[in-house]
Amino acid sequence: MEAPCKTTSSPDKSSAAEPRRGFLAKAVALACGGVTLLAPAAVGVVAFLNPLRQKSLSGGFLKITTLPVLPEDGAPRRFSVIADRVDAWNRYARQPIGSIFLRRTGENDRPVEALQVICPHAGCTIEYQKTAQRGKFVCPCHVANFDLSGKRTDKKSPSPRDMDTLEVEMRNNTEVWVKFENFRTGAAKKIAEA
Amino acid sequence: MKAILDWFDHRTGLSAAWRRWADHRIPGGACWCKVWPGAVAFAFLVQAITGFFLWVHYSPSDQSAWESVYFLQHHVAGGWLLRAVHHYSAQMLLVLVGIYVTQLIVTGAYRAPRELVFWTALLMGMLSLALLLTGDLLAWDQNSYAGTHVRVGFLKLLPWVGDALFKIAIGGPGPAFGHLALPRFLALHVGVFAVGFLVVLLLHGVLARRADAAEAEQAEHTAPFWPDQAVRVAVAALLVLIIVVALALQHGVSGDHVGAALGSPADLDPANRYAGARPEWAFRGLYAFSELFPGEWAILPIFVIPGLIGCIVLAMPFVGRIRAGHYFNVALTAVVLVGIVALSLQSLAKDRNSAEHQAAVDEERRQADRVLHLIRAADGIPAEGALSLLRGDPSTQGPRLFRQYCASCHDHTNGAGTGIKAEESSAPNLHAYASREWLAGLLDGEQINTPQYFGNTALRNGTMASFVEESLSDLDDDEKEDLAKIVMAVSAEARLKPQRKLDAGNAEQIRHGRALLADDYGCTSCHKFHDKGQLGDAPDLTGYGSRQWLIGVIANPAQTRFYGERNDRMPAYAESPDDPAANTLSAQDIGLLVDWLRGEWYEE
Ligand code: FES
Repeated sequence: MEAPCKTTSSPDKSSAAEPRRGFLAKAVALACGGVTLLAPAAVGVVAFLNPLRQKSLSGGFLKITTLPVLPEDGAPRRFSVIADRVDAWNRYARQPIGSIFLRRTGENDRPVEALQVICPHAGCTIEYQKTAQRGKFVCPCHVANFDLSGKRTDKKSPSPRDMDTLEVEMRNNTEVWVKFENFRTGAAKKIAEA
Repeated sequence: MKAILDWFDHRTGLSAAWRRWADHRIPGGACWCKVWPGAVAFAFLVQAITGFFLWVHYSPSDQSAWESVYFLQHHVAGGWLLRAVHHYSAQMLLVLVGIYVTQLIVTGAYRAPRELVFWTALLMGMLSLALLLTGDLLAWDQNSYAGTHVRVGFLKLLPWVGDALFKIAIGGPGPAFGHLALPRFLALHVGVFAVGFLVVLLLHGVLARRADAAEAEQAEHTAPFWPDQAVRVAVAALLVLIIVVALALQHGVSGDHVGAALGSPADLDPANRYAGARPEWAFRGLYAFSELFPGEWAILPIFVIPGLIGCIVLAMPFVGRIRAGHYFNVALTAVVLVGIVALSLQSLAKDRNSAEHQAAVDEERRQADRVLHLIRAADGIPAEGALSLLRGDPSTQGPRLFRQYCASCHDHTNGAGTGIKAEESSAPNLHAYASREWLAGLLDGEQINTPQYFGNTALRNGTMASFVEESLSDLDDDEKEDLAKIVMAVSAEARLKPQRKLDAGNAEQIRHGRALLADDYGCTSCHKFHDKGQLGDAPDLTGYGSRQWLIGVIANPAQTRFYGERNDRMPAYAESPDDPAANTLSAQDIGLLVDWLRGEWYEE
């Protein structure tokens, strides 16, 4: 490297005669040079790793729709989850931050079921397909099939777990509120994204 | 002149360096079979040159990345060619490195003392894959976003570090890519992988020449690099460029599809994620391979098995020291290559035969065309980005909204039966709603109670249906003419864009039709029509089918102006004008839906 940070001794024709000074000079040269380069690199790396401090977009309960909007026959319908979205320096008011399927279950204590559209395999968007019988969910990317309650139906499913259910709360009789979360893709267990 | 050169040479030693480089002896003499590393170097330089000029035009942000690529592609002189050459040459680079590495293995040229030569060649292969992977996202179209999203998402399969790696890669918390994803990918693409490739390439050259020099001392026959081998390399490089240019020109030299494809702009809304996304051919084999495993074991085909194969390949120089080991290396290479090709072909065939996949691809193609039309219509892209044009385009959003909200009951199919079919047709077909043909069918005793109109609704037993069946069947010619005028008059209320000329031309008949409707046919005894009749018994015919009328019906069909208590099962999509959050559809969505139903959108 370039000039060390201390003034060097005048060039000595017989430097081997002074091994200790030679050692000191080398050590100082390496230390000064190293710090000069490593310090800025370290700051850069800290900045580069900043995303690790950021939280995933998962909110509390959000109002999605009202019960009468859902088909009586239990067919699912897709809804966008609308909330304010923050991306680095921008705040977007009322934007789709996610998408879910809602469907009536016909059960009294749990009249509505909510499923994430994001495929647990690798995060593609699952689609609802009307079939001759009750219809099913299909992920277009690696063709994982799910039944209407989100259970995997393939013998060997590309998806490591069933579709992710979301907590639903009925408020004021007919309002459907859902706790919107994203879950880690690729994992056999359902782990909420932090 | 000579003096200047000498002065310069004295201070730089350039001519000696040149001599060393040019006079390098090739053991065994020059050969066409030795052009591959040189061709790799040329292909990389083509990438560096075109890449620099692409960089100059690129704006890496989610609201301007696609837009800047669009501008380069369609408005910068030669821009499309620059993109196309970079695109195809990137694939060529990978192919050339692949051939070279295979050649090193098959000819046993990885053995001592050439281990480092072999490893640096492998590293170039990895770097060209990394360049493809990071470069792909930069176009920021639907395919590149959806595909990269899946590929980067696989990082999460890695235990402990996966999540962190994912966040670091996309520069944000996910799951959607944010502002910082593109700058990161660009910096990795250029600053790390491209620069890294250059360093490894130079290192590879130095190491290979060192090994050559040692070999040349023993060889009976050698030839100088310049010009014997150099001419072969240069010719090969030119041939590669010719192939690249031919690929770039395959769609002609003008029009919307010149050069390399550019899809529609990336949409971060998961609801609009492109369903037809597939990896580039280089990753097709891996994609198909991963499908052989159940999801719980995805880490095997994506990381573990390729990683193991990678380790074996790295160890090839040692395994190959014995003869059997060399045969093993060659056999393994053959199995991997054949396997990749076979899996890729199988996967391609599967997609070709999948109607859903083809539909998704077609839809995206239409959207990519559409956005170009919209940009032309708007005479430029608004600052919010090109996506805002698609979001505000009835012909793009109408069918989507209709499928999601209306097609559980309503068909939207033309006479031939093509269009959007209801899941369970239980309400009128809304294709060409309020047009003359549609109304003529409604007022036809034979048709009103078919599934096209009231057949599957509660209205089939209503006053209107029985009136039409009883009073509007068996008409004589005069009556038929009157009825046609009434149809024209009601349809004119809608002010449909596709019918505008017709309406203007039939002003006389329409005036007559209005009078007939109110007086002779007694429509206004139930319906309100301008200042005749009153609301309460039947939908208002004033402005029937107009934009404002349809927005009203969709917002709440049970209003007195429309169906009141007689509303069958149609939901109110925007019941609360004061509380937009409580409504199923926003005012903007209803507007888009209505414009689409009425055939009102920009057409070139
Ligand atoms: S992402 Fe859904 S099957 Fe792979």
